[in-house]
Amino acid sequence: MIILHAGEFEGGLAVWGEESVDDSPAPRIKTAVRRPSAHPFGAARRLAAALEEMVPEFAAADRAHEVAVWMPTVAAGPIPSSGIISEPPPAGAKARVAPWTVTAYWLYHDEAVDLLCHAMGRRTVAAGVMVGEDLTYWADAVRLAGSLVARQQFLPDMVSEAGSYWAVWTPVLEGDDAERFGRMAGRMPAAARALSKVGSSQPKRPATGVLRTIVSGMVDQLVRAATHRSATSGDLRREEFDSAHDRWLHALRYTDGGMGRHGADTTQMAAHVREWRRPVAASAEAPFRLCFRLEEPAMPDDSTEVSIADGRNPQWYVRYMVQPRADPSLMVHADLAWKDGAEAEALARHGRNIREFLLASLGQAAGICPGIAAGLEGGGLAGHAADTAGAHRFLTEEAAALKQAGHAVLLPAWWTGSRSKLTARAKVRASRADGLGVLTMDTILGFDWEVALGDQTMTVEELEELARLKQPLVSVRGQWLALDAEGIRSAIKYIKKGTRNATFLDVLRMRAGAAEAPPGLEFDGVEAAGPLEDLLGQLDGSVKMQDAEPPEGFAGSLRPYQLRGYSWLAFLQKWGLGGCLADDMGLGKTIQALAAVQSRWAGGDRRPTLVVCPTSVISNWRREAARFSPDLPVMVHHGPGRLKGEEFGRAAAGCAITITSYGLAHRDEFLADTQWGGVVLDEAQNVKNPQTKQARAVRSLHAESRVALTGTPVENSVGDLWSIMEFLNPGLLGNREEFRRNFLLPIQAHQDAEAADRLRRATGPFVLRRLKTDHSIISDLPEKMEMNVFCSLTREQATLYASVLRDTEESLAAADGMQRRGLILATLSKLKQVCNHPAHFLGEPSGAAGRSGKMDRLAEMLEEIISVGDQALVFTQFVQMGHMLKRHIQETFGREALFFHGGLSQGQRDRVIQQFQEGMAPVLILSLKAGGTGLNITAASHVFHFDRWWNPAVENQATDRAFRIGQTRNVQVYKFICSGTLEERIGEMIERKKDMAEQAVGSGEGWLTELSNDELRDVLALSAEAAG
Amino acid sequence: MSFYYYTPSTPRPVKGGIRSQSGRGREKSWWAERWMAVLDGFGMGARLDRGRSYARRGQVVSVDVGRGAVTAKVQGSRRQPYLVSIGVRQLSPSEWERLAAELVGRPAMAAELLAGRMPKNIEELFASAGLSLFPGRSGDMNTVCNCPDWANPCKHIAAVYILLGEEFDRDPFVIFKMRGSGRDGILEMAGLHLEPGGEKAMPAEPPQPLPADPAEFWGGAGSGAPEAAGTAEVPAMAAALPKRLGGFPFWRGGEDFMSAMEGAYQAASPAGMGAFLGEDSDEGSARDDSDKGKKDR
Repeated sequence: MIILHAGEFEGGLAVWGEESVDDSPAPRIKTAVRRPSAHPFGAARRLAAALEEMVPEFAAADRAHEVAVWMPTVAAGPIPSSGIISEPPPAGAKARVAPWTVTAYWLYHDEAVDLLCHAMGRRTVAAGVMVGEDLTYWADAVRLAGSLVARQQFLPDMVSEAGSYWAVWTPVLEGDDAERFGRMAGRMPAAARALSKVGSSQPKRPATGVLRTIVSGMVDQLVRAATHRSATSGDLRREEFDSAHDRWLHALRYTDGGMGRHGADTTQMAAHVREWRRPVAASAEAPFRLCFRLEEPAMPDDSTEVSIADGRNPQWYVRYMVQPRADPSLMVHADLAWKDGAEAEALARHGRNIREFLLASLGQAAGICPGIAAGLEGGGLAGHAADTAGAHRFLTEEAAALKQAGHAVLLPAWWTGSRSKLTARAKVRASRADGLGVLTMDTILGFDWEVALGDQTMTVEELEELARLKQPLVSVRGQWLALDAEGIRSAIKYIKKGTRNATFLDVLRMRAGAAEAPPGLEFDGVEAAGPLEDLLGQLDGSVKMQDAEPPEGFAGSLRPYQLRGYSWLAFLQKWGLGGCLADDMGLGKTIQALAAVQSRWAGGDRRPTLVVCPTSVISNWRREAARFSPDLPVMVHHGPGRLKGEEFGRAAAGCAITITSYGLAHRDEFLADTQWGGVVLDEAQNVKNPQTKQARAVRSLHAESRVALTGTPVENSVGDLWSIMEFLNPGLLGNREEFRRNFLLPIQAHQDAEAADRLRRATGPFVLRRLKTDHSIISDLPEKMEMNVFCSLTREQATLYASVLRDTEESLAAADGMQRRGLILATLSKLKQVCNHPAHFLGEPSGAAGRSGKMDRLAEMLEEIISVGDQALVFTQFVQMGHMLKRHIQETFGREALFFHGGLSQGQRDRVIQQFQEGMAPVLILSLKAGGTGLNITAASHVFHFDRWWNPAVENQATDRAFRIGQTRNVQVYKFICSGTLEERIGEMIERKKDMAEQAVGSGEGWLTELSNDELRDVLALSAEAAG
Repeated sequence: MSFYYYTPSTPRPVKGGIRSQSGRGREKSWWAERWMAVLDGFGMGARLDRGRSYARRGQVVSVDVGRGAVTAKVQGSRRQPYLVSIGVRQLSPSEWERLAAELVGRPAMAAELLAGRMPKNIEELFASAGLSLFPGRSGDMNTVCNCPDWANPCKHIAAVYILLGEEFDRDPFVIFKMRGSGRDGILEMAGLHLEPGGEKAMPAEPPQPLPADPAEFWGGAGSGAPEAAGTAEVPAMAAALPKRLGGFPFWRGGEDFMSAMEGAYQAASPAGMGAFLGEDSDEGSARDDSDKGKKDR
């Protein structure tokens, strides 16, 4: 495990790393003589590999530097950034700042941008490569630089360095940007500015300067690379220039901005650049900003009708005000700011040249807004009057231009809100008078547009009347409304055209606001009648959905919220729509999905359903299907002996459910040849990236209805939503480019709340998410829920298992007495190790993903738990396995996993428990034996038994640790079982002989040694289903 | 060939000279017309036209505006460029005070000047202070050129006049500078600029020693807040900032400055958006199939 760090070094970023103690060679701490000691956890080799993987075309050879990092240090050495690296010193230890030599890689700005874009929003960038807080901070700095470049807040410049001139693009921080920059500098971790050359003194450069250096460098890099790409190739290699101006223009758009040594020519050029940039530099540094407020005409109180008809042209007013940047709450009218008086004095506290500022910025604004120029001519500094057309121009054009120039603009609420505009509503007619018949996404429905102004429906005649008035703003009953000429024209056109056709998909898109409204009109939803309105209403929740009866032949019993979830799935299924069931883990998504499958089967629809899930849960699905839907024929499509091509098609057609893995969903292309009645994706977050092979593969499956199951809150990530929705209801959110334009950019880049709301409305009907903690919805959840989680063995595990069995059988026949008992216990232990992880059995220190079904399943479940901020306990009876789990969890999630085991001192134990209780780490691993009594762990709401202790009393005692007094939440207990192995069969035995289990088995596993050889053989045998 | 015998000579071509920007499809401002009228009043006749064509072709190699004098180099038909100087009478302190007093009474004009635009009634300002903005005739200016042409002003001086007119339009304070006072000088006199001494240097930020407290050093509080970087939107009008600043002083590039800027700004916006959203430059390839290396058996 390494943690990546980055700090400013010589104008760029240098990346270095800490490596965890268990991975790195034993720390060698030398006493510092002249140069700082080597950092004991420096991660040179793995750092180089990580950078080469993440930064395109990065070759680490010859790029390594030795750099000093000045960090908090105690007698034992530097204090690590995380407990993952090494144990932190005790809380009271006195720390000082001291230099440590590390291997670092100095990155060019383009490399840094690549790396940081990759790290954005992530805790790990690869297995075992974690992102430090300082690197995360620089990723935020890239976002800031990107935002400045996207909004074009930068200017070309010329700087002098070491006797040469350089052409650069520098950021312009005006208004909000300056404040944002200040806030960002304020939260810079000190680690981001703690680097120095080896042998020099402690860096003390302030955060603002460091941030400015890096953001400027990135802005320059982004603009330079973009303009370089867009330049014509012939332009790129120029050496001779006719003038310094040509040289400057070229250097601005070339990879290297060098303009050569100082010369008379370039020096004069630099002076001209400075002169040219001065107005912007001055306004960026000004302590004030101008604010323009559009004020409505005073209307007579008795105006109850549309007042446009009476021919008056009301007077609007644009008022000028001055606002100190440091105190935006102080707004002084510009005419008062000009005069001597209390207001001007209040402003003077923030800056002196208020008159110069006022005139210069008003003069600048006058170039944008002619009304200001006219106002100034009249000598007025207070503001200027505008007629209705002028006010409309101010609202639609000038306000935005003034904002872009760095001024503040205050507009009336009726303009910024959407209530007072011309709106269009679609009235849908059902396709048939007697109902809907069979409805699919492609069913054609007729609809008419209905146009309203405010809450008044408008006729064509009224609209034509409005169009004749040619007034962009009208006051209706004292309320101002904006009328867009184009909007009126298209409204008239759309009404006159009469009934139009749309597919059901289009109607859904319109209803959700995902479709585009006629030009110039705001979209105001879809209205329908009869069964279609019922359907639409049930979808968006305005009509309550009736609970369905549990399907015939369903063997499970559904809790009330499960019945609701199943009814919802069955409802969508009936209409051929797709839904994402995103209930919290442990609420039983599988059982709800199975009930929906069963209901279709019971209803006579015998088309097969395909379940796609991670390999590790295939056996769990098979088991759950057998348990809850015993009548349904089920086929597992997995493993080397699986059916292919047409043979598969025939077999699948005869089954209700076919279960397969994501990997095979894309490898076995013939899966797309079957017409599926339904497709169920379990752990659907696996397809959140639309470009992955498995995402493309599941989208290509032919199915009438689709279900996605996931416990991670996918609806929170705009980017991830499209892929899952495109699988569920193709076309609903538009294609990827449309989605990016209509939703992703507005929401993520413009923070457009309206677009976010639109997306919520569009997807809301197709996502059902219930939280365990929401007791108003889930009131009937028991405090403790136990469930068996069946995992498959990988082929490696199955092979090892069989070979252990072979060895045992021979020696077992020959052994007796104590020797036999010992042999049996040893065998049990070996087989358990194989079930845990091949590396556990083979004594390897760490185990990769993909070798153990249990470990993969645990990682999948923990991903959900961590993503919703829950905490979990993981019990194992093997200390070695505990270490392996700790390492795997840390490398996968980039979060510290705590491990409580017998080897800890009392102080360490207390600290581990305290850290977990305080939420510092999401996972606490406990060795089953070490816990003892007296532990009080109430923070966890999930308990995993990674391996089994064949003694219910011991297991229950462990579980109860998460369930002490003080625990107010529901606790879910998951017992991991490798199906088809001894784990499953011994579990069954204990269930069967409950009495024996509780009374006769005592506290150990010794009772197993009392079994006969034949019984033992049955118990230990490996059945064919073990490997999924 | 007699030295005094006039022959139309062809000037040597210049690379990287200052090119007059007027007549390049730009709309003619009121100022350009007014300036031409002033120059017409100097009675240069055909030499003014030749000067204009010199200015367009970039024969003027450099122009330097100082207090009371402008010096320039103009490439003619000889190997060495000719040296041109234009002397202007500087205003006396009392004349400056009158001018400043007039300016402070006209906020609209002051605002335009401060925003870098030539106010239409600038001549009124001078007239009301009992001064004149433009010399009545060329003799009011002390012009010198070392070319062999006996006429003064010659076409080389005319070419410099043309470029000066454009420079006045770009930054009206250049006129004040020629008459002896820079921007800050007149603003101070008008009581608009209260901190004398020109641009103030940014106060140096105090050093910030590194904290020894590990939590403070490594950070972790508040980072990753989504609003930290603000929003990003590609503006409808490209290159608003350079446009706000206007043309470049005495532009000598072969490429039109503002169209080069527009191209650069347009290309930059999408790249900035990509970085803001954290998209890899070659989107997708690096993150494809991050399936944790799972394999099916």
